[in-house]
Amino acid sequence: MHRITKIISYIILIISILSFNFFLPRVMPGDPLSFLTGGPAMDMPIVLDKEMRAKLLAYYGLDKPLQQQFYAYMLGILHGDLGWSVYFNAPVSEIVIGGLKWTLLLVGAATAIYMVLGILLGAISAWNRCGKRDVGLLTFVLSISSFPSFFLGMLFIILLGVNLSFFPISGAQTPFAEYSTPFEAALDAFRHLLLPAMTLVIAHIGGIYLLMRNSMLNVIGEDYILTARAKGLSERYIMHTHAMKNALLPIITMIALRAGFMISGTIFVETVFAYPGVGRLLYDAVTYRDYPLLQGAFLIITLVIITANFVADMTYAHLDPRVKHE
Amino acid sequence: MIRNLIAFLKEYGKSVLGLIGLGIMVFFIVSAVFAPCIAPYDPHQMHKPLEHPNSDHLLGTNDIGQDILSELIYGSRVSLFIAFFVSIVSAIIGTSLGLLSGYFERVGFFIMRIVDAFLAIPRLPLIIVIAAFMRPSIWNLIFMFIVFGWPFTARIIRSEVLSLRNRPYVDATRMLGARDFYILGRHILPNVVPLIIVQLIIEARHVILAESGLSFLGLGDPTAKSWGMVLHYAFEYPTIFISEIWKWWMLPAGLCITFTILSLTFIGYSLEELINPRLKRVTRL
Repeated sequence: MHRITKIISYIILIISILSFNFFLPRVMPGDPLSFLTGGPAMDMPIVLDKEMRAKLLAYYGLDKPLQQQFYAYMLGILHGDLGWSVYFNAPVSEIVIGGLKWTLLLVGAATAIYMVLGILLGAISAWNRCGKRDVGLLTFVLSISSFPSFFLGMLFIILLGVNLSFFPISGAQTPFAEYSTPFEAALDAFRHLLLPAMTLVIAHIGGIYLLMRNSMLNVIGEDYILTARAKGLSERYIMHTHAMKNALLPIITMIALRAGFMISGTIFVETVFAYPGVGRLLYDAVTYRDYPLLQGAFLIITLVIITANFVADMTYAHLDPRVKHE
Repeated sequence: MIRNLIAFLKEYGKSVLGLIGLGIMVFFIVSAVFAPCIAPYDPHQMHKPLEHPNSDHLLGTNDIGQDILSELIYGSRVSLFIAFFVSIVSAIIGTSLGLLSGYFERVGFFIMRIVDAFLAIPRLPLIIVIAAFMRPSIWNLIFMFIVFGWPFTARIIRSEVLSLRNRPYVDATRMLGARDFYILGRHILPNVVPLIIVQLIIEARHVILAESGLSFLGLGDPTAKSWGMVLHYAFEYPTIFISEIWKWWMLPAGLCITFTILSLTFIGYSLEELINPRLKRVTRL
């Protein structure tokens, strides 16, 4: 029963996001066509004569009543039609799906790394609570996670990319490269992935570290840890088998939620590294006032995040039977 | 009340991280308040462009000849003002609605549905899209940050009120014939104040990050120079990555943002440690 209400509320959410996307350009001041022809911020606005205007309005269906426009818009989305990008001169859906591939790769890689690191550091920290190691780790992690990701990315580009010149500083592949083996292609993609992924990891590790540390501190206070100690088990064994395993439960449910959160973060990281994901597309769309692309990228990012939240919501109760739905 | 405050400050003073955070924050607040006295120039005044640091311009000048040090000092005004204004207003809205929804069940149900909806929407992409459509101005940004900021506080305050509502002392006061709003103001509000403060710090940290991020993407107010704006112009400058100028243009601006966030992180962590009995028992840092 509870699950059904959850699903319904997610459906309502998606519909409201779609409607928001539809109404936003229509309630904003100005001519709806100005968003299609480049908007007021373009250096050279395209001037339309009356005839052309009417033709364009008819072409985009903007002369029809609002509910018909809305219906056509929803139908278009169901068919995967997100409009036409002015800047790239290509269908928005094609561009956005192409970008999504890279964003998911980036977020996937970063999630894998920062989960393992955050969990390990959090566990070590909690296990040595108040000790030198805990104090050191806590200060260190809180400090590095205070760097805004775009600033950190710029520092990486200058310090590691330009000065060491091992790391490529922009893009996801070497342009015009021809690979003899698929392995070479993968290596090239990996080298391009490294700096952006590292930036994301550092920007996001603080949350997961603190969460693991708290969760572990919770577990350490439990009776079964005391029992294990009384049985004379080694500290290392208790930490790995008893404490970490139980402390991990609440963390695992956070993976999907945090991954969704991280997708927002890729907007900055992809912008700095010119990584061709959806985040970068959003930035390009803002810079070139390409409104159809802006809306398409926004829609995809939002849908991915909502899906991640949904997965987190659904697995939440599954993993830990002690967690009951309210 | 005063005694509580002194005891609180004494406890807080034991936290090294908390003191460091507070120190950094005081530094930035002082530079924001006394900006006209400290800054060597008007940040909009133009000199010779792209000057390296020298005795006239300690951090050099940018591509249109504005003194970078003055830009950063005045920038602390814009960044801190937005952060604290937003977090205080969101705290007020969030606390009032959180109190109401925790105490009155029926009202609470409706408020919480609205809160749920707001929390489910990914706020950063949404703010970016709205900002791209609207004219960029400080007040538009502030408005959006508040609209998407209060639900977090409301949610947290509500769950605390739910647990406080049925405590014996509240029941006893109700038996004595106290009115609902008296109970809320006199017995429940004081108990959630620590939570509100922690939430305020967390929100301020978020806003600093979001504002500088939006400005960095070019969605900030071009007439108000925040640190994010300075970083934006630096990033847009073609040879920023391959010449020396990043050292006095990009780096100081980024460090200002980083240290502000760092100070809020430290303050927030120490406060949380103080009010969370579990963390408090095991760590004192």
